[in-house]
Amino acid sequence: MRRINLVQGEHLATDRPDTLLSTLLGSCIAVCLHDGVAHVGGMNHFLLGQPDAGQQVCAQDMQRYGVHAMELLINAMMQRGAARSRLRAHIYGGANIIAGLGGIGHGNAAFARRFIETEGIAIGHVDVGGTRARKVEFLPFDGKARATFVAEPLPPPRVPQPVDGGELELF
Amino acid sequence: MPAAAQIKVMVVDDQASMRAMIRRSLQDLGFKDVRDKGAAVDALASVKSDRVHLIVSDYNMPDMDGLQFLEEVRKDPVIGKTVFIMLTGSADREVVQKAAALGVNNYLMKPFAPAALKDKIERVFGELS
Repeated sequence: MRRINLVQGEHLATDRPDTLLSTLLGSCIAVCLHDGVAHVGGMNHFLLGQPDAGQQVCAQDMQRYGVHAMELLINAMMQRGAARSRLRAHIYGGANIIAGLGGIGHGNAAFARRFIETEGIAIGHVDVGGTRARKVEFLPFDGKARATFVAEPLPPPRVPQPVDGGELELF
Repeated sequence: MPAAAQIKVMVVDDQASMRAMIRRSLQDLGFKDVRDKGAAVDALASVKSDRVHLIVSDYNMPDMDGLQFLEEVRKDPVIGKTVFIMLTGSADREVVQKAAALGVNNYLMKPFAPAALKDKIERVFGELS
């Protein structure tokens, strides 16, 4: 079995039956999407839901937000043959691990659920909140997912380098 | 200096959450008349019957994608000169080149900040008041 570990800001969709996607979550959210007809599945891992109204955010920071991470994941699923109407979502994470951070995890979980509902995507498992970190494992071909609590502290997040789209100066 | 409030905008994206975010960004920039559609086919019918000055459209959509939508707009004798800004994914370099060939006015790579959207619009319309 090919195991792929996703970190904050990453997403992956695949139709390979030999692949397991996993991630470690604290206050972050991972959404697992699955199309049971096309046998396509995917996962993302994002830090925050969406910018507050009026909040100034640069393009690089936008990559941390769920509103972007969800679009990337949905597009990747559709490019591999999934249909939006058949998608089913599992939502994990959103723990409030560090006291005094103002319930970031709770807000992230609320965003994820609201996003999925707004987009009309069916909701499967939801395992969010609490005060403990989670390890999520997802079989994208079958759509099976599970989350287990992690006792040890999370390692410091490894944030991937933003993809350089390469500004094309056409205009 | 054109007033943002006078510019009618159509936002097209198949994701409701993204449409809402773009709408909010435009409204923060002073745009008052912002409509949105979740499918390019519906947006095309709408702007043909009720013209807008600016179309902000995603590329990656089912059925009719952003390039097909742009092509349909450009070949229409009535709405053909409508300003069209395309939103693309970061890896869609080829899409940008095709859009340029079809006459797109500007493009913006996702994810983008509201300031970047303002900059792209102002490059076409001039500085907004």
